[in-house]
Amino acid sequence: MWLIFKKEFKELIRDRKTIMFMVVLPVLLFPLIIGVTVFFTSSAIKKAESEVLQYAIVGDAFAPQIAQAFVDDTEHFERVDIGDNTDYASLIKSETLDFVLVIPEGFGGDILASGQQKLSLYLNDAGLNKVMSRVSDITDKFASEYQATAFGTLGLNTEQQAALIEPLVIEKENIADDREVWGERIGGLLPYFIFFLCLQGAMAPAADLGAGEKERGTLETLLISPMERYKLVLGKFLTICAAGLITALITVTSMATWGIVISQGMAIEFVAEIMALVGILDFVLIFFMLIPIVAIFASALLTLSIYARSFKEAQSYMGAMVMVIIFPVLIAMMPGVELKGGWVWVPLTNVALAMKELFKGTMDYFALFGIFTSTAAIAALLITFCVYWFNKEKVLFR
Amino acid sequence: MIEISGLAKRFTVENPKKLSEQEKKDPRLQGRYFQSVRDVSFTCEKGQVLGLLGPNGAGKTTSLRILSTALTPDAGTVKIAGENVLENPLIARKKIGFLSSSTGLYGRLSGRENIAYFGQLHGIDDNIIDARISEMADLLDMHSFLDRRAENFSSGMKQKISIARAVIHEPELVILDEPTTGLDIMATSTVMEFIQRLKDKGTPVIFSTHHLDEVQTLCDRVVVINLGETVFDDTVSAFSDLSGGRMHESFLKTLEGSKEVENNVVNL
Repeated sequence: MWLIFKKEFKELIRDRKTIMFMVVLPVLLFPLIIGVTVFFTSSAIKKAESEVLQYAIVGDAFAPQIAQAFVDDTEHFERVDIGDNTDYASLIKSETLDFVLVIPEGFGGDILASGQQKLSLYLNDAGLNKVMSRVSDITDKFASEYQATAFGTLGLNTEQQAALIEPLVIEKENIADDREVWGERIGGLLPYFIFFLCLQGAMAPAADLGAGEKERGTLETLLISPMERYKLVLGKFLTICAAGLITALITVTSMATWGIVISQGMAIEFVAEIMALVGILDFVLIFFMLIPIVAIFASALLTLSIYARSFKEAQSYMGAMVMVIIFPVLIAMMPGVELKGGWVWVPLTNVALAMKELFKGTMDYFALFGIFTSTAAIAALLITFCVYWFNKEKVLFR
Repeated sequence: MIEISGLAKRFTVENPKKLSEQEKKDPRLQGRYFQSVRDVSFTCEKGQVLGLLGPNGAGKTTSLRILSTALTPDAGTVKIAGENVLENPLIARKKIGFLSSSTGLYGRLSGRENIAYFGQLHGIDDNIIDARISEMADLLDMHSFLDRRAENFSSGMKQKISIARAVIHEPELVILDEPTTGLDIMATSTVMEFIQRLKDKGTPVIFSTHHLDEVQTLCDRVVVINLGETVFDDTVSAFSDLSGGRMHESFLKTLEGSKEVENNVVNL
């Protein structure tokens, strides 16, 4: 069995495609994707906030102070004159204007006399433009002034003013600490990435070790070697497991390392907060929980691969398997699903839930028994089936 | 002595509707089952080279796969020196060297590593493996490519490595399934010389082929299989005498009465 493993592993590390999925993807691509996304998003937000907006005001005579405030803010706004009865929508769609503010006839600052005042803002709100918030920054000042004047007229003290603005206040006393909050937010998403990377790391070698043997015509020669079939299967299974585990180890290490680098080197506050809260032991536990998961993946992938006639056929079966794997992980992301009761015994879902609990710092360590037992049992069943499968002539000589 | 007696093997047809018209007319097709081998029997003495002939789909490869223990027969026995190999295939595999029709190698391993791996699977010591590889590299002229990765080997190179791999454990019986198919003249010649050497050493060789000239040059016995049954089993001279020395006609004669022969090409 170790002879098979040694040979298969030697071949594995000579395969660029496998190394790509096992090492390069988790080490570089994973943080690169996140980094690039964060960079472009923050650049887009900065651009949207600092861009000079082209605007038009209709009915400026009814609220000259508001119109003047926009004119005065030359750093952020540039007025464009438009004629009467102009189609605002077409001007905005053609990007001649970013927005049109329409002040209605009879607009006045005395809100006790006029009631609530309404301004119409025409804009294209599909993109990241920040138009609404930037217009509000100016109009809110006037709204506050009108409000203060009205309160003065009514002769209300500060407490009465506050009560009128917000008659009922709920004061939230959140007993969740920061770790729980962040754990809930990112802990559900994390297993999705980790499972997917482990699966990717195991897929290429699995396709090669089963269907690949058939396709290149080496299976027959291997079958007539004086080695028991179960040893052949276990040797291959261990190789796929090793590939998946190396991917898992690299992923978790990469995640921890990049977390530290980003939080300390780049001083990103929220990553620093998470890294301060999640301990090394949590990362070690995550890795250990991935061992039976990878065993499940390896035996299922090898079973499919042995059945397939070709590498291509194996990959199509494995593509379908990804969908099956995603489902229990998605369940773990659903609200109300927690690591309690029956969920402790549901393979994949329980590990996904446990990862979330570890990140939240609310892990019930007794649940580990159920998690390891159920996932190991499924893995053992699958590998037993795989050995049985590898003894079937109709599977081997399809 | 190798004795093969009453071999039979049937396969389940996954989708009978996808069979060609010719396949549907095959008398071995029975509902969802295809009786690939119905009754194959022959013997091969020590030091003999036995040529296995037959049209495509006759059951040659299935018979050889049963001999090599890759497949288990539904009926029949295979005995090497009186021992039924099917009763203990793991021991039998140490005695058999098998070269399948596909010259598949592990592309990311070198030629040497490919051969050594199978030597290790047979439990041979690494030093002995090294010595045997050197010996076979001389015999099969493999020194120039032995330590290169197998992924870019030509058909001839692959076949030489495959042969070395099949005999690294010095088997008592060598089975070769169409060993010269797809090879150029030089590589074919090397393979033929290698079979001759095995014969000279007294190792029995059973090989299937469509090339009657190879049979005439190397073989002591000829077995013809048609529609899953042995239809001829005798010496090469007896085979040749069927049509006054014309091997091609002798072959056709053994298949007499079978319509399938018209659809098969035999290389002279």
